[in-house]
Amino acid sequence: MGSCIIYLNTQRWIAMKTFLFLACLLATSLVATSLVATPALAASGVMLKDEDLRASASPSATSAGRLAKGATVEVLGRQGGWTQVSEGGRQGWVRILSVRAEAGGGAGAGLGGLLEAGGRRSDSSRVVAVAGLRGLNEEELKSARFDANELMKLDHYQVDRVTAEQYARAVGLHHLDLGYLPSPQREKPQEKQQSGPWGNGGLL
Amino acid sequence: MKHSLPWIILTLCGIGLAQAGDFDKFLKGLIKEKTQQPAAPAQPVAPTAPTAPAAPATAPGKPADQLLKALLSGNTSQEEEARIGQQISGNLLGAAPLVRDEGLQRYVNRVGRWVALQSERPDLPWRFGVIESDDLNAFAAPGGYVFLTKGLYRKLRNEAELAGVLGHEIGHVIRKHHLKLLQKSQAIAALGSFFGSKLKNENEIVQNLIGNGAEIVARGLDKDAEYEADRIGLVLGARAGYDAYALPAVLAEIGHVAKSDKSVSLLFKTHPLPEDRLGQLSEAVGERLDGLAEGQSGAGRFYRLR
Repeated sequence: MGSCIIYLNTQRWIAMKTFLFLACLLATSLVATSLVATPALAASGVMLKDEDLRASASPSATSAGRLAKGATVEVLGRQGGWTQVSEGGRQGWVRILSVRAEAGGGAGAGLGGLLEAGGRRSDSSRVVAVAGLRGLNEEELKSARFDANELMKLDHYQVDRVTAEQYARAVGLHHLDLGYLPSPQREKPQEKQQSGPWGNGGLL
Repeated sequence: MKHSLPWIILTLCGIGLAQAGDFDKFLKGLIKEKTQQPAAPAQPVAPTAPTAPAAPATAPGKPADQLLKALLSGNTSQEEEARIGQQISGNLLGAAPLVRDEGLQRYVNRVGRWVALQSERPDLPWRFGVIESDDLNAFAAPGGYVFLTKGLYRKLRNEAELAGVLGHEIGHVIRKHHLKLLQKSQAIAALGSFFGSKLKNENEIVQNLIGNGAEIVARGLDKDAEYEADRIGLVLGARAGYDAYALPAVLAEIGHVAKSDKSVSLLFKTHPLPEDRLGQLSEAVGERLDGLAEGQSGAGRFYRLR
């Protein structure tokens, strides 16, 4: 008899645990869905240039129409160098630098927040103490006096080449070949001289 | 009587022109003298030792006016660059000292050095520092000095953004933007002090060159130099393995700060507005980054300020 009651109790306990677990799961998924789907989190942005609205985040994806420079769009998400936008019922992908997000739309909804991989951001770290704000204005800079002690401290914190390379290896950062970007206004000949990222040329 | 006034003016102008001519000759003489020096270490990048040498405190036995000549001819050696950078940095640190957080300073130096290694001047004695100020700003000085304010650091969300900001400043250093500014705007003033020939020591000459305190960092560079540094910052960050779009993200974030906010008054006075910088970057990038491997954000290991 006694063992039977214990058995029943255990059964009920397991059932309750299962229920609680499922309830938690449901609640979490609900919150998650609302976070993704709620348009209130989307920021509005302005197109910086004419660009094709693509079906997926790739330059080879089919075009779903064109967005004109100056058009207002809703910024929805990011994938690599692409950002998902919607405009007048249309939805698709444009290059991330072709859109400038407007301020507002709530904390973290701006382009800055969007550009953050995974959309995570720690707001607590961004709270700037209001009391005792310390600026750095022109007058202060002009009247600044040479501080040899601080300069020595700066030297002390210096990291050599080997240490920096060790750090990169430890965190999985790998060098990537990418040429400098030419000036968009006019071609600057000295920038073209730089053949490779490790080259020594191009010093003025 | 009425006709004499124009003559007086003409004569005065003539004297002025004659003096300007002499001045010009003097200038050319200086430059010639510099360029004739055999094998001056004008391109000190390649042969330097892997471990960076410390900046020389003073250079005894060196003619005091050497630095001026080098600047005017646009041929500063790495040592001369370091001397100028050291003076500017020492003054800047006098206005805003380093944040007392060794972990933070070491972290910023590791990331900064790794980004600088992607540039064509990997072996400059690079130094990075976070300084005590709630302003949003970052500074560079010749010879490899890079600073950012605590206020700006707080705005950053991950290591890639830090790398982008440092990359922008590294861009100023490797393209010698401040040296060019000095060469252009301070040449006459420097020569003025040269004529005064009270060249007591090198420190005074350098201070004379850069003006009062660290005001040179408040003077600002021209817009093209800033746009160029943005392009370099983006590329160096990407080369270092970080998210290429991190620097644009910082610019977007700064663009959302009210223009009237005191924390950005110096930044916006000395730089084009963030929206213009983003527009320029957008133009420069175009389709060039299509197919670029996705970089790291390094958000998890980003050093949080205490």
